[in-house]
Amino acid sequence: MNLLSYLIRRLVGFVAVMIGISIITFGLSHLVPADPAIVAMGDHATDEQINAFREKYGLNKPIPEQYWIYVTNLLQGDLGTSLHTRRPVAEDLRNFFPATFELSVTALVLSILIGIPAGVISATARNRLPDHVVRIVSLIGGSVPIFWLGLILIGFFYGRLGWLPGGARIDKFIPPPLEVTGLFTVDSLLAGDYTAFWSSVQHLLLPALALGYFSTAIIARMMRSSMLEVLNQVYVLAARAKGLRQGMVVWRHAARNALIPTVTTIGVTFGSLLSGAVLTETIFSWPGLGRYATSSAINLDFPAVMGVTLLAALVYTLANLIVDVSYQWLDPRIRNG
Amino acid sequence: MYESKRSPLMILISLALVILTACGPAATPSVAPEGPQATEPPAQATEAPAATEAPAATEAPISVENTLSISSNISDLITLDPAVVYEYSGILVTHNVYQTLVTFEGADMQTIKPSLADSWETTDASDHWELTFKLHPGNTFASGNPITADDVVYSFSRVFALNGPPAFLLTDVAGITADSVTAVDPETVQINLPKTASPGAFLAILTNTIASVVDSKVVQENEGGDNGSTWLLDHSAGSGAYVVDHWTQEVEVLLTANPNFNGDQPALTSVLISHVPESSNQLTALQNGDADIALNLTAEQLATLSGDATSVKGEDLRLFYLGMNVGVEPLDKPEVREALRMAIDYDGIVNDLLSGNAQKVQTIIPSPMFGYNGDAPFQQDIEGAKAKLEEAGVSDVSLEMLIPDGAAPGGVQWSDLAAKLQSDWDQAGITVTIKQVTFAELLDAYRAQGAQLALLYWGPDFADPDTNVTPFTSYEAHSIAWRNAWDDPDVAAQSKAAAVMTDAAEREAAYKEITDYVLHNGPYAVLYQPAALFGVRSTVQGFEWNPMGFTDFWTILKIA
Repeated sequence: MNLLSYLIRRLVGFVAVMIGISIITFGLSHLVPADPAIVAMGDHATDEQINAFREKYGLNKPIPEQYWIYVTNLLQGDLGTSLHTRRPVAEDLRNFFPATFELSVTALVLSILIGIPAGVISATARNRLPDHVVRIVSLIGGSVPIFWLGLILIGFFYGRLGWLPGGARIDKFIPPPLEVTGLFTVDSLLAGDYTAFWSSVQHLLLPALALGYFSTAIIARMMRSSMLEVLNQVYVLAARAKGLRQGMVVWRHAARNALIPTVTTIGVTFGSLLSGAVLTETIFSWPGLGRYATSSAINLDFPAVMGVTLLAALVYTLANLIVDVSYQWLDPRIRNG
Repeated sequence: MYESKRSPLMILISLALVILTACGPAATPSVAPEGPQATEPPAQATEAPAATEAPAATEAPISVENTLSISSNISDLITLDPAVVYEYSGILVTHNVYQTLVTFEGADMQTIKPSLADSWETTDASDHWELTFKLHPGNTFASGNPITADDVVYSFSRVFALNGPPAFLLTDVAGITADSVTAVDPETVQINLPKTASPGAFLAILTNTIASVVDSKVVQENEGGDNGSTWLLDHSAGSGAYVVDHWTQEVEVLLTANPNFNGDQPALTSVLISHVPESSNQLTALQNGDADIALNLTAEQLATLSGDATSVKGEDLRLFYLGMNVGVEPLDKPEVREALRMAIDYDGIVNDLLSGNAQKVQTIIPSPMFGYNGDAPFQQDIEGAKAKLEEAGVSDVSLEMLIPDGAAPGGVQWSDLAAKLQSDWDQAGITVTIKQVTFAELLDAYRAQGAQLALLYWGPDFADPDTNVTPFTSYEAHSIAWRNAWDDPDVAAQSKAAAVMTDAAEREAAYKEITDYVLHNGPYAVLYQPAALFGVRSTVQGFEWNPMGFTDFWTILKIA
């Protein structure tokens, strides 16, 4: 099967997933026994004002009709207007998504860069000191709540040492770079503004570490266990017997094969990074999608909830697609199968 | 066999970068926020001149010295349009950006002072009141446009057209329409007020941001089919001490001094309100000197302040109360409601649960509002409560109480407060089950008379006792009394009469009588009034919190 027909098949599946998600989310957000109009207009508003709000946003129509209107608009690229921010949802998502994306990707990259070597080292040094260190550190990573870790990191690196900033995406006295991608690190480089770049990197570090610690731990543990399995395989023995150097055996013969289950984990982890961003963003005053999603849910702002859910589904599906495609790079048997 | 020497890791990273670029914003790149921040070199540029190529500065860039830095949770901010803003953060900002005809100064909320209007007079025109305002001549907006009576008329017409959350203050409480506001000449505005409203209370409403005067020329230039509301969401067209430089959602609001301000130029040329949702980070920022004022610290956090920062106390006019639905048996019996009130350990709530950061208020007008009645006769009396139940001839009282989730303003968890009440009542033989729901769900049920007991708070809408007394006593007003199914026409009539009384002593006596009556007969147990607490750096001077929920930034200065 060639890549194109594979991608087409995946695309069809993706559309089905999106339709299913939109129905479920829409249904769920209308099951809540509370009225978004009251939330939006406040406790003190009169009944007439609340009715006028319902009328304006079509909340007084039957739910199937509301869904139909929503989907019709969606197909024309209109995600609706947020009941809370009163701005187009698409505009809100565009404002908030890059911040979350920058944070999640940085956290993921850090997790991969640290987790994979840590797992490999741990497996090759099984039951020796490096292994114990990796196992303990990753055990902690798997069990520490993210908000606690975030507060500790801020308290230590910002509060006590003053080395790193304690929140926000950039220093408040440095103008953010001209928006191209919405990612401050990339945009400041594009603009050649190294002051802004350095500030964004500094601001990114603590939240990315807090967010990425859990996934680093998971990746390291996964890599360790699959490495242990692979290292016992005959072909590793054969490679050793050929007289290959230890590094060559470990990294080229064993690690590459051990990566398949780890890559699956990485794909799943990316989803958990997006959801973990909710807490991280609150603690680090990070203006991202996680905070937007939370406030949308609290305010019963269903157009925004729908927008966030659909976007998250899109990202998640894409991440899985990347994982599946990367299997084919890793293992020629999958490519030919 | 290997086809490529690319490492799987590099593939993953490059794929991640591909989505990274693909998932960026739409093709048209938008520019960074306008104003000094975007066009001028950063403060740090002097240290690294090669790094930036910003155009020459026209004003001093914002810096630590000339900026008031505030850390606050501004997630409630949804608009800066004064005609529709009704959120705490939004009011804090718009109060400093727009001017009203009349105002309160500092922390005072009883003496109406001139603002855009130099003077005003109220005449009795038999079937209505005529309020005539004389505008101060020569005043201008930040744009340089003169402030005229037409701007005032236009500003009011926007409120009616947009019908946002605070519009009921003009439409329902004051009972006026767009036609009630007219320009007699460029410097004279006349407002016709029906006799159902009190001129005094109306003047208090006029100090609210809803009565802000907007620059009609600038707003009309940016009309956009919705009276300029979309544009005013994050721009300003006022005459206040500051103008909105930019508001970045969930990040910050930057205000810069209005060069055409009609009063003295503020000492600090900019005010930066940074969004810091987590209060412990506000604390660290305050301690590190990154914030001059932190608005959302808890009582415990404030207690840790020493040296460079201190705790400043202000008034918070919200009343925390228990609503008892008289449509539900046995709450229809006044003795049962009295028993519930008597069994509560009010001192324990104030001193232990709230660490003393509240005052024991039991009547329906908060302190220090006109008409405040300091009587607080209730303190836990279990035997008395039991006797009242016996008097009512009921036993085995079992009720359900709705409470919101999360933390109540004032620093206590709703669930802790509810548990305390539950155990107090339990001692008197009243069984209460607690049902914790979202605030939205609670309001939904409560507004439909669907709660038995409900625990929540009420904040005043304007600085006049009528803002609490009518909702708490008038069934017809469809507010709190209605929600608790309490229909007492006599007290409602008394409130209506008190609202429009012009003689202060007579009015005060009327409110004393009403509040005393509601204290024992109403469907409420008022629990406490919290204090407003702030963390402030010792370098900050002139910070004064108005109980209506704002502060005048222009009176604040920083000493070295």
